Order: sequence, then structure tokens, then C-alpha cells
Amino acid sequence: MTDLARTPLFDEHLALGGKMVPFAGFQMPVQYPAGALQEYKAVRDGRAGLFDISHMGQVRVSGPEALAFLQYVTTNDVARLVDGQVQYSALLNDHGTFIDDITTYKINDAEYYLCINAANRHKDVAHLKEQANSFDVHVIDESDDTTLLALQGAAAQQALQQIVDIDLEGLGYYRFGQMAVNGAAAIVSRTGYTGEDGFELYLPNAAAVDIWRKLLVLDAVPIGLAARDMLRTEMGYALYGHEISDSVTPVEARLMWITRLDKGAFIGRDVVAARKEQGPEKQLIALKLTGRGIPREHYPVTVDGKPSGEVTSGMHSPMAGGVALAYVRPEHAASGDLAVEIRGKAVPATRTSTPFVRSNVRK
Amino acid sequence: MTVPADLKYTKEHEWVRIDDDTATLGISDHAQEALGDIVFVELPEIGRQLASGEAFAVVESVKAVSDIYAPVAGEVIEVNEELEATPEKVNTDPYGSGWIAKVKTSGASVELLNDDEYTIFLQE
Repeated sequence: MTDLARTPLFDEHLALGGKMVPFAGFQMPVQYPAGALQEYKAVRDGRAGLFDISHMGQVRVSGPEALAFLQYVTTNDVARLVDGQVQYSALLNDHGTFIDDITTYKINDAEYYLCINAANRHKDVAHLKEQANSFDVHVIDESDDTTLLALQGAAAQQALQQIVDIDLEGLGYYRFGQMAVNGAAAIVSRTGYTGEDGFELYLPNAAAVDIWRKLLVLDAVPIGLAARDMLRTEMGYALYGHEISDSVTPVEARLMWITRLDKGAFIGRDVVAARKEQGPEKQLIALKLTGRGIPREHYPVTVDGKPSGEVTSGMHSPMAGGVALAYVRPEHAASGDLAVEIRGKAVPATRTSTPFVRSNVRK
Repeated sequence: MTVPADLKYTKEHEWVRIDDDTATLGISDHAQEALGDIVFVELPEIGRQLASGEAFAVVESVKAVSDIYAPVAGEVIEVNEELEATPEKVNTDPYGSGWIAKVKTSGASVELLNDDEYTIFLQE
């Protein structure tokens, strides 16, 4: 793992007994000694889980044409954002398929901040810089200077409040503030990937270790990648490389709610509009096994005994049992007897909706 | 990490307890710890004839699916149905209530290690 990058918290993970695995070019903790299930429970059962997600990338977009640029390169309607608001969005290519899914933070009319996936960072930045040639904007990749922590769970606000200088109660869902965290200038948003109330903290690297340790002292529980994936899958949140990729458009991925065809021209728009008209090539659905087993990524999905598609993310949910997101043929999205093939056996399943378990985000 | 002296082990990290012609099978403490939280066990059918080294059960942790191989050949005569509701017993008591199946042996087996040999194997 010598050619893999380390986050500023690498030594902290080792000190806590984290089991490090390669992930998106980084060495990241997949779990700590308590194990993924206990970590998952800590977040769901009212504590505060602390996640190092510094592998993710951050890009600052500034300049007089920042809004026009982001309207053109992202799918969602950036004009709807007010200062201090966050928006889930996506970057598409000319074929209308996903380069990445992102969050857009509006600082002001001339300055925005994007959070992007680790595995797509270099591809995203190259794409954004190329597109920026046609606009009066600056695109700066700040990923290497930024430590990103997530603090998620019912106790997150109480813990974080101890080390910030503003009243977090006033910070709404998908809102952010620029504030001092333990004395360091940071961006803090009420966002996350778990379905619990919580925050994401964009910190200067030099401040990261102290803040990480302070939050642990404030009773936060360190959470690895395995529990993070359980928490996001239970919410039915898409993950790049699984539900979304450069082979599907927002029509297939059921992400038209972040794709505003009426906002004007943007990259991929015409292809997506045509696909919406013609209908998707395949359709993402949520399913729950009624038989025993765990649906896993790439397991075949059948409808009325015939091959229809495959699982993109699946898990054993402690609360909901065997649940999965899967692509099926569009004519199978709503009808027909559904099954997941597990080691050659067809295990029956029913269609359901997401989230698979109750979301506790603050709306 | 425990390696009881009264059991035999495989290099695939199964254990076997042989009483006359009955063999009780499970996975070792090392195996359960390496797998992490076990959330599903697929048990073999009673009456199934196993060749030694054949995959006969599946243990699934949060992130991984692992085949379990038969240390000995024979017929499955009993399975630990409690694992269907409480698979975590494989983690908490791998050599006791976390046993997986009992087999009426026909004598053939894969290479079996005693506790000392298995302990050395784990250290290599």
C-alpha cells in the first residue's frame, strides 16, 4: 500500500486500531476494533459517529461568471441557491452520463465550493478546468489542503457545539456556515451520507488532528468505510461506480430531481431530455428480499424467471433485512415477480421505496 | 486468539472435532476475527454427501462472502439451525455454539493440523 495516499489522520486511525484498506487511491479505515456493526449502531442509536472522509475532493470556483459556469457544467439549478445553501447535483458528459455526483456550496454570487468524489477527483478537475476556458472563472483544486470530517448521529450537534463559535441550532438542513472550529477557519454544513442529523466539516489540514481528538473526547465514535456504506445503502443514496457511472444518465438513475431541464443549456442536457422522452434503457429500483439471503453487488436480478438486471448495492440491514438497489429492464420496474439470484438460487424479493429504514435528517 | 488443543484445523481455517465417526465442523477464532461481524450463514442440506475440501457452507460478514470447505468427507447429519437467527454466534463462540454442521465421516480428509501446527501456520 506504499503508493497509496494518506489523509492527515492516518496515524490517528492506526492508533485507534483501524484496519486500513486501499480505497480510491488512499489508505482508509474500513473498521475499528469495535467492528462495523457496532459502529453502525452507534450512529443509528443516538450517538455521534466521526468519519474521516478526507479522500473526497474540494474545488473552489470563483469569478464574475461563476454562476453561469456552474449552470453549464452541473445538472441542478444553481440559481435557486441562496448564500450559505448546499445543493446535491451532478456533472454530466456530452453523452448525458455521469462524470460524478457532487454537492455545490454557494458562498456568494461570485464564489462557490464543490465537494467531489475521491475516485473522480482528477477527472472532475480536468473537466472543470477545460470548461472554465470559456468563462471568466477560476477553478482551484483545494483537495490536498482540506481535511473533511463527517460527524453524524443524534448527538452530533451537541458534541460539535462544544468547539464552534456559532449557535448550530440556527443551521438548517443543507445549509452551511463559515465558522471557527476549535479556533480554525472552517466550512461546516448540515449534510451527510447516513440519514441521521449531522455535519460535514471542511478543515485546514493543520487543524485536523486536534479536532479529531477533541470530538473523540466529546464521546464521538470513529466510524470506518464498512459502516459508512451500510448507513448510506439503508438510505438508498447513490454511490458513484455503483448506481451511477458514465454508462447511465439521470433518467436511469432516478436522479431527474437534481437535473433541471428547464434551467437552460448545460452539458448533457439534450441527451437527457431525449432519453426522458424515449424512456430509460434500464431503471434503478429498490428491493427487499422476502426469502433468506444477502443481495450483493452484481448478483443477477430476474423477473418472472427471466434475466432482467443486477444488484448495484446490497446489504443485510439490521432493521430491514436483505435490501438492495438494482437496475432492471424498464418494463420490469413496476411489475412482475422479482427475485435475486444468490449462488444459483432465486430468492424472491419485493419492490420497495427508499429509504429502507427511517431517515432522521433534520428537514 | 484461541486454538483449542482438542480440535484439528485446516489451512483454510476450519476446525473439526472428531468423535468416532462423527465430525463437528466450524471456523476458527482466527477466521471469525478476520471476517468481522458475521450477519448470515448458509447451511448445507441434511443428507448432502460432501467430498473433503468441498465448499459446503457460506458465511457472510458485513462486507464479504466466504465459502467454508469440508475438512472431512461424509454425509451431513445435523446443521446448527440456530445460526439462521443468530449468525453472530460464529463470532462470539466459534468453537462452541457457533459450530456449523455435523458430518458422518467416511474417513477421507484434507490435510489436518493439530493445535501446535495450526498456531505455527497462523504465525507464518
